[in-house]
Amino acid sequence: MIKVRAVFEKCGRAKYISHLDLNRCMQRCFKRSGIPIWYTEGFNPHIYITFALPLSLGYESKVEIMDFNITEDEPFEIIAEKLNKAMPEGIKVVKVYSPQTKHTLIKYADFKMIFSGDVKSELEDFIENGNMTTIKKTKRGEKEIDLREFVRLTGCDKEGENTSVTLRLPAGNDLNINPSLVTDLFIAQCGKETELLSVERTAILDAEDKIFE
Amino acid sequence: MLREKIEKYLLDIQKPARYIGGETGSVIKDKSKVSVRFAFCFPDSYDIGMSHLGMKILYSLKNAREDYWCERVFAPGVDFEEIMRREGIPLYALESLDPVKDFDFIGFTLQYELAYTNILNMLDLAGIPVYAKDRGNELFNIVVAGGPCVCNPEPLADFFDIFILGEGEEVNLELMDLYKQMKAEGADKKSFLKKASQIKGIYVPSLYDVSYHENGIIKSITAKDGAPEKIKKRIIEDFDKVFYPEEFVVPFTDIVHNRASVEVLRGCIRGCRFCQAGFIYRPFREKSADSVCRQARALCESTGYEELSLASLSTSDHSQISDIISGLIPYTEKEHVNLSLPSLRVDNFSKELMEEIKKVRKSGLTFAPEAGTQRLRNVINKNVTEEELMRTCTTAFTGGFANVKLYFMMGLPTETDDDIRGMTALAQRVVDLFYSLPDRPKGRGVQVSISTATFVPKPFTPFEFEPQATREEIMHKQQILMDSISSKKIKASWHDPSTSILEAVLARGDRRVSEAIYKAWKMGSKFDSWGEHFNFDNWQKAFDECGLEMAFYASRRREYDEIMPWDHLDYYISKDFLIRENQKAQAEQTTPHCRLHCSACGVSKETGRACF
Repeated sequence: MIKVRAVFEKCGRAKYISHLDLNRCMQRCFKRSGIPIWYTEGFNPHIYITFALPLSLGYESKVEIMDFNITEDEPFEIIAEKLNKAMPEGIKVVKVYSPQTKHTLIKYADFKMIFSGDVKSELEDFIENGNMTTIKKTKRGEKEIDLREFVRLTGCDKEGENTSVTLRLPAGNDLNINPSLVTDLFIAQCGKETELLSVERTAILDAEDKIFE
Repeated sequence: MLREKIEKYLLDIQKPARYIGGETGSVIKDKSKVSVRFAFCFPDSYDIGMSHLGMKILYSLKNAREDYWCERVFAPGVDFEEIMRREGIPLYALESLDPVKDFDFIGFTLQYELAYTNILNMLDLAGIPVYAKDRGNELFNIVVAGGPCVCNPEPLADFFDIFILGEGEEVNLELMDLYKQMKAEGADKKSFLKKASQIKGIYVPSLYDVSYHENGIIKSITAKDGAPEKIKKRIIEDFDKVFYPEEFVVPFTDIVHNRASVEVLRGCIRGCRFCQAGFIYRPFREKSADSVCRQARALCESTGYEELSLASLSTSDHSQISDIISGLIPYTEKEHVNLSLPSLRVDNFSKELMEEIKKVRKSGLTFAPEAGTQRLRNVINKNVTEEELMRTCTTAFTGGFANVKLYFMMGLPTETDDDIRGMTALAQRVVDLFYSLPDRPKGRGVQVSISTATFVPKPFTPFEFEPQATREEIMHKQQILMDSISSKKIKASWHDPSTSILEAVLARGDRRVSEAIYKAWKMGSKFDSWGEHFNFDNWQKAFDECGLEMAFYASRRREYDEIMPWDHLDYYISKDFLIRENQKAQAEQTTPHCRLHCSACGVSKETGRACF
């Protein structure tokens, strides 16, 4: 049994595949691909896939990570090629390698968001001075938190008629902040008419802000 | 662009993956390079429509032709429909995301009567007039339908240009070929329909006049413009060689039947007198074990499905069923594919078959004795004896099953209160059997569920003459059933008879029913098969406004010589045979299945050879 990690994109129509459906979709892609995939050995054998971080429905990503096992050696580039032949429109494997780290090292994720109109200064002002207290739903119920200490603005630029914003947010096992918590607050406080047009995950990082691999 | 408009609202609705296409196996073509576009519409939600095998067959078949492009269309959920109407998003097809009104053919499959209002709703959402007469004479937007309910399409006659009778693999392409040719010639719709009516299996309702007696019974059905007096259904002669898809569209969301499926046989030898499918799909034809195994493998490989189903009306009636299963098992075991065998009959349910079923990890088994007593089972010709049922239950119980579901029909012809009590008595004997077995599953109690459905008499069955039980009669029968149950190990469930009454009206309705369907839809009826959407009062009002009585269609006995609304449609089941079978039913006599003895139903007369 050989452990394998794949990085894949989930864009276009594929962004409407929910996390639960993605798991099922990948099971079938692996089956179609013909790679020597490993099945669990219990009463109900199934293809073993773990996703590093679930992606919300409607978000795109360039950096999704999944781990699986194969039963016999096969070159990584061949695995990528076979998988890509089996993937639906919008999902593309960009890298396959042998994992050296555990998913638990993941601490942050970057999200690039596009807002309609020019709201650059409003956004910068919001990150600096806005009210960032919100209600976060957790398994143990609802909890009031101040997002300010968790949100880092890593990029804010005009993009044509729109504004693109990149936020670095806590991600992983300990704490996960969904960008929608921040964008909902911003839209409410912006003062200008604006809409969130798209969200894309652009990086998954470890505690030192290094790209998680 | 429509796609942007759609995407703007997708995250506001339930299961958006149903509305955007892009699934593996979906066929994308360049529309400038195809000559005929066909929108295959399933008049129910994606989850149900995507489970339908017929659509998969015709989708692949049409798309195999380079210059034809077939796309899928489903009824949007209520949440999305509201947005579509508000934001001016027309009904669109999932592959190109182009509006349905851009298509040459708009084809519906009629699987059950309670979907009829969805057809009107979908045409309306597409921006296409629902009445055929309002759609003009240009050769475009031809609205067609096929499927089992087309054996009496009269209640929909006003809405469709063409009905396609019988099996569609050949006739669909013939119809599209004719369209392509006449379109190039610059012909109009009227001349196309006239010409199409000459193709075997094509029924153009506007070429027939129906007149009625004062009492509402049909006086005559007359063909005009050279259309045939009798429209014959189509049959595929060589079922083993007929086109079968090697790919399915694999949905992202979980649908009702999410699996690879191979059709192993068509038709049925049994002749259960209540079962329309058992008559309209005749003759019985099998696919060879080799073809089944080859097609199953190809499908599993192309789809990646983890479940494979062998589909038919009665899979265990296949003469090579053990060859098929032993041929498939080495592959399915190696590739971790579960084999599922729906539609097994209790009388030939063996231990080996059960071992296979157990692998799909079902906790219970379902049997359909259909009637509570042997007398009534003889009436309906469901030739399953109690010993056979008990033998099968013994196999099931010793094999580890402890839940058994028994399906019955309520309101069958000649049914008495004793027949109803017979359901409970039968269930009790199954319970007793369980406790009499030393090797029953330990530590678990047995649970027998009685599930009843109201009987709906259907065209082309020996019961097409019979009245449906009235609401009062059904309520009475349900009370008898409940009163007869005294054990906690037996549970009974039933449905409100309202939907069955409407089903009976639509199943044997005539052309005058079109107006009532239109009115009910106008009052907001849609998704009538979904309990939460069904509104019987709408329908009652619609029929009242049209001056029609539902009871005339549902609970009236027809004379043998009455002209039925579907009498000009030829499914090769002769009226004489149906009358004979009806008389035998009244006399509580059974008819052997086709392999044992030919009962001269009329099909072999048409095909020119014995079925066996």
